Amino acid sequence: MAAEQPAARRGTVDRPLAAEYPGLRLDWLVADCLGSASDPGVAKRLALLADRFSGRQALALRQSPVASAYRSFFRQIGIDPDSQQTPAEAVALERLQRGGNPLGGRVADALRLAVLETSVALYGFDAGAVAAPPMIRAARRGEQAGGRALAAGTIVLADRERALCELFTPPEGDCAAGRHSSSVLLAAIGVDGVGELPVAEALSIAAGALSGG
Amino acid sequence: MATALLESVESGPSELDRSAARRTLRAQIGRLEGHLSAGLCEAFPDRPLLPELPGGHAHLQSIGELEELRDAQFAAVAELRAWLADRELRCADASRRLGLMLADPAGHRRERITQRELGEGGCGVWSVVPRLGPLGRLTGWWLVKLSSGCPLAT
Repeated sequence: MAAEQPAARRGTVDRPLAAEYPGLRLDWLVADCLGSASDPGVAKRLALLADRFSGRQALALRQSPVASAYRSFFRQIGIDPDSQQTPAEAVALERLQRGGNPLGGRVADALRLAVLETSVALYGFDAGAVAAPPMIRAARRGEQAGGRALAAGTIVLADRERALCELFTPPEGDCAAGRHSSSVLLAAIGVDGVGELPVAEALSIAAGALSGG
Repeated sequence: MATALLESVESGPSELDRSAARRTLRAQIGRLEGHLSAGLCEAFPDRPLLPELPGGHAHLQSIGELEELRDAQFAAVAELRAWLADRELRCADASRRLGLMLADPAGHRRERITQRELGEGGCGVWSVVPRLGPLGRLTGWWLVKLSSGCPLAT
């Protein structure tokens, strides 16, 4: 019998940002990670999903409801989605360039699977290195994330103590989940046009893949 | 009344007004992004070269930045639409030429039209070639052939 999944919780969006972007939200949960190696079941699902993308389908992804909502939001916050792809487009592009979905260990596979299935922006943090709950806020002057200086006002994912990464940028450094992580804080970012359901689904797929496949 | 108007002009728009302006601009930007995506999907497999749009790190954009982006998107959408219209004309012309080739192969010797010129995918090429090689050339027996497709990857 599969273990019961932890319930997702709603993270905070700093008030000025919430007022500007009413659709911006953050859902998160902490999931156990059973081992570091790729799960054979997840690897098989990724291989099956690799067949889903041709060049035309990868391009058409930008017109799908969820991926296009992220593209619009990227523009609205100053990110060029043609230079910094939305999560779904990034995994689709990697699939095309590498001729398949690469395996990168249990955490990377779980995140990739959830993004491929739902197109939702989902990131994994080492739960032991993060002071939950996470939040979305503007970076303060002189703040850093993953060893890089952040311009004041940059929208970041943060915990109670520090900025973890720029919004929509995979985390780097000690807070990033990886092969060493025994539990992973999964953070899904929702925007206008992305319903509750795909966000919940993304968290559920990733948590399931982390803790058993 | 006049004093109140003067004061409101001098003090500029309130934060509430600026926020509403940003909201309107963001809605426009979202719609224009949709037009760009739809146009690029329509253009596939061609990839028209469009002007680069401004972009950087994630932050709350000012009205000036949003206006600059919106204007650049307008220009890109206009350019993309012009490119699509031009391609449609080129495809119609290629289709007309193919019709002439099929109707009178001998009158269009050695002419070639690619599938891409016709606005279709694949690597096929329609060409007018002599039937049975030199024999067809000598007897004036020409026909239109469609090549079998993309070369195999090496």
